[in-house]
Amino acid sequence: MKTAFCFDLDGTVTTTEILPCIASELGVADEIATLTRATMDGLISFEASFRLRYLILSRVNVSRIRSIVAEIPVDDAIFNFIREHKDDSFIITGNLDLWIEPICTLCGCKVFSSEGFLDEDVLKLKKIINKADAVMNIRSMGYERVVAVGDGANDVPMLSTADISLAFGGVHAPAVAAKEASDYIIHEGHALCKILRGL
Amino acid sequence: MQNIAGVVIAAAGMGTRIGLGMPKCMIEIDGKTILTRLIDALRPHVPLINIVIGYREEMIIEYCARNHRDVVLVRNEKYRSTNTAYSFSKGAEHISGKVIYLDGDLLISPKSLTDFILASCDKEILIGLTEAKSENAVFAHCQESSEKLLISGFSRIRPSRFEWANVVSGPSNLMSGATGYVFERLIERLPLEGKMLELAEVDTAADLTAARSFARLLPSGVK
Repeated sequence: MKTAFCFDLDGTVTTTEILPCIASELGVADEIATLTRATMDGLISFEASFRLRYLILSRVNVSRIRSIVAEIPVDDAIFNFIREHKDDSFIITGNLDLWIEPICTLCGCKVFSSEGFLDEDVLKLKKIINKADAVMNIRSMGYERVVAVGDGANDVPMLSTADISLAFGGVHAPAVAAKEASDYIIHEGHALCKILRGL
Repeated sequence: MQNIAGVVIAAAGMGTRIGLGMPKCMIEIDGKTILTRLIDALRPHVPLINIVIGYREEMIIEYCARNHRDVVLVRNEKYRSTNTAYSFSKGAEHISGKVIYLDGDLLISPKSLTDFILASCDKEILIGLTEAKSENAVFAHCQESSEKLLISGFSRIRPSRFEWANVVSGPSNLMSGATGYVFERLIERLPLEGKMLELAEVDTAADLTAARSFARLLPSGVK
């Protein structure tokens, strides 16, 4: 069966959340942490939160953010799985394409993300991703089955649209809503990949 | 000879008869939960441990996040209306190869579990049996020979020395589509070989007392 494997990026493929990591480098860790927590718990919508985070972080030069992102640690087991199945793996992330490009290049798979562009060195938002739309998009490419892995409340649309969904708690406990939308709950990359390989 | 691809532990049930208000696998015996005892005994022999959760799933999720990060938790959202056979089938859904199925309320001597796993490799289906002792036993009627026990029937009424132990090894589709009890699915395949296990099942308050005594007889170091 032709199967697509969809992964959230932050805290799933990466072993640290990307935005808090950038924020701590920039001295706004507390502000971003508050927003991240509220978003993970589903208290504010992903879109509203993203706009606020974007507002805080867009003041920073994109190339500086990219150099931080290039050094974010990844979960080796998941990273290797994606590399081995790069034609059928997809990163589906709310994060901004311009920021995460270095890590996506390393993974080598296709990416669905929020989009931005530079307008005379000023970062502008073009589109905030809807993860369920991304799954529908992938289905239309001819996949008979979609498998999704995520950890946050913003992954719920992806997890509930997929055929098989896995809540991943490798970095922190998955959000309650993500667990409730999932068939499996897994806390370790190797165990996750054993299941993915058996599907 | 076929290596074991994985284990499925059914831990979704409500444990109504014992009525402790928590999944039975979370009961501590001599300071160690039944679940941890099972995982510790299984881990050296199998690459994958799937635990099917339902009733108070949060308790098992948090416990495994702290203590057993390498297990896979499979959610059975229909735990109120389904039985162990459904949980077994759900837990084995994406495993390919030989699977050991066991109930999450069993205190098993690690030595006898190891012997069972080794014996499973050579048999398409191997059924765990134990000396009949529980209140609601499913008795197994066997032909005994020097080398093996061959099970010819199960009965709740007609007594026997042997009781179905809620442990079985077989293909990953063994329980697919089963709606009744696990042993009812096995009846369709009889005669099948059985193997003795030293274990105590925790279904009732009296069972728990017996299980605590059983635990004291296990070799130290596995307590």
